[in-house]
Amino acid sequence: MRPDEVVLETRDLGFAYAPDRFAIRHLSVSLRRGEVLGLLGRNGAGKTTTVRLLTTLLPPTEGTAIVLGQDIRTGGRALRARLGVVLQSESLDFVTVERNLTLYAFLWGVPREVAKGRAEEMIELFELEAARHRKPWALSGGERRRFQVARELMHDMEILFLDEPTVGLDAIARRRILRYLKDRARGGLSIVFTTHILHEADLLCDRIAILHLGSLLALDTAEGLKEKFGGAREVSIGFRGPVSGALRLELVGELARRHATLLEAPETAGSAGSRVDFRAEQAEELLPWISQWAHGHGLGIERMAVEEATLESAFLGMIGGTDEDGNGGEKAEVRPPGLLPPGSTGGLT
Amino acid sequence: MRWPPVLRLVVRNFASNLDPLTVIIRFGQPAVTIIVLGTMFSSIISSSVTGGASYTAFLVPGMVAFQMITGGVVSGNLFWLDRRWSMVEQVFSGPFLRSEYLGGLVLTSLLFSLVGVGIMMLVGVPFIGLPPLSPLGIAAVLLTVALGSVFFSGLLITLGSRLRSANAYFSIQSFLQLFVIFLSTVYYPVTSKTPRVLAVVFYGNPLTYAANTIRDAFAGSLGGGDLVGLGILAALAAGAFSIAAWAFRTMDLGPIQ
Repeated sequence: MRPDEVVLETRDLGFAYAPDRFAIRHLSVSLRRGEVLGLLGRNGAGKTTTVRLLTTLLPPTEGTAIVLGQDIRTGGRALRARLGVVLQSESLDFVTVERNLTLYAFLWGVPREVAKGRAEEMIELFELEAARHRKPWALSGGERRRFQVARELMHDMEILFLDEPTVGLDAIARRRILRYLKDRARGGLSIVFTTHILHEADLLCDRIAILHLGSLLALDTAEGLKEKFGGAREVSIGFRGPVSGALRLELVGELARRHATLLEAPETAGSAGSRVDFRAEQAEELLPWISQWAHGHGLGIERMAVEEATLESAFLGMIGGTDEDGNGGEKAEVRPPGLLPPGSTGGLT
Repeated sequence: MRWPPVLRLVVRNFASNLDPLTVIIRFGQPAVTIIVLGTMFSSIISSSVTGGASYTAFLVPGMVAFQMITGGVVSGNLFWLDRRWSMVEQVFSGPFLRSEYLGGLVLTSLLFSLVGVGIMMLVGVPFIGLPPLSPLGIAAVLLTVALGSVFFSGLLITLGSRLRSANAYFSIQSFLQLFVIFLSTVYYPVTSKTPRVLAVVFYGNPLTYAANTIRDAFAGSLGGGDLVGLGILAALAAGAFSIAAWAFRTMDLGPIQ
């Protein structure tokens, strides 16, 4: 077992519900041992179909996929015995949480003593102690989801498929599960993870495949995607003192020539103020120029804030969607050394 | 020791889906029928109508035959609930084959029916005494119930694999149960006074063959007619199982609401 071993590889994989109705098409991705691959996409992008194809629950209508050295068309039981699957839909047996865990382990042929130990571990890890003796209908939505992930971890596997495992979970439970999965991946477990929560994918996944309308739009690391598709970002410049209307107008004009868009009404651009907010494609490239401009005019810069490129902005940029404000993302404050005396250049950290 | 997949599924079927109340009702209903209906009708129905035996003695083999429906309904409902709660898909994402899941359901149905046979015998014996069952008679009873159970579970699994509405499934299942029981010789014999149309319907019903064969086995009078009845039951069971297997192979595994 090599750490860089490819455990899953698809080539032009596709599934059509009808001859002209493809759920997924031309999917070519790979997964290495210990890697976490995220599948991101809107509803109907083909994420669940991809999971069902790769776990042999659905036969592909075109292309190939080799999982753990076996063709998904012929791997069958022997292949499935090496996989774990947390389905998107709720699946439950009508016994207590604890019994559900041990019963599922029994189904997988896990020895009784091992199963008992693992059930305790999972109950603790997934915070199911209070729900231990409750039946599924008495569980909250979050508890059910946690239970479902816990149950799948009762048996050994080489690849774990998780189809939106954190839906309905609170932030703490989500973080706990993601941390656990990350640890398991470090231990050699390969994971395919679908989610709508882009921040999660950013935290957990080594690489992310963006699916849209059944096609693979991009496959890269989160950083790579942000870099390539991050798009325009907001920049906020705070000067030490008030800037005259004439100087603000000059700055705004220069920024406009550099393809930046002012984030205030044009009629206020000529008013005095100590702040300028704009939006630009190559925001970080403008920062040194702004510092120089401020220095040239004897102005000091107190703060520069550049919105970080997020996976969300990359995702929206890629699929051509925008949020209500036409952007998305978190702002990271950039404070140049020495509170940016005139002439210093602001660098992104 | 690692159990074979089918047996693991059977254990799971029993452990996860059969709560004590369901079990009590499933077996309690025919047991109460023997006690109440048998006692009440024995005093008002002439033994000449029931071939010389008391009505309870006539009813007990009928209730034994009825267990094939009990078993069939149990596995049909199990399957429906597994589909409804996505457990079919979850099980198939593990190291199981469709045939094993289907086999597990049928075996669950079979075991349930055979346990039911035992319970009906236990309830009936105080009223009718120990029937003169020969080894061949015992084999005939068990085989009849087993075949009937395969037939009914096949029928209900086919239904469950095609219907997407819980209301539709449970309504049809209840209607089918009622229809099959009342149009059979479980509660009453077909006599010369039975309207011809009803007699034809009775003999088109597998439960009639099962009830008659078991009744003959109880009376120690198995004959050629019973062999034909068993043959018909075997053919029906094979047919229903084949259709269920086909329906099962071609069904969508995804969840239903």
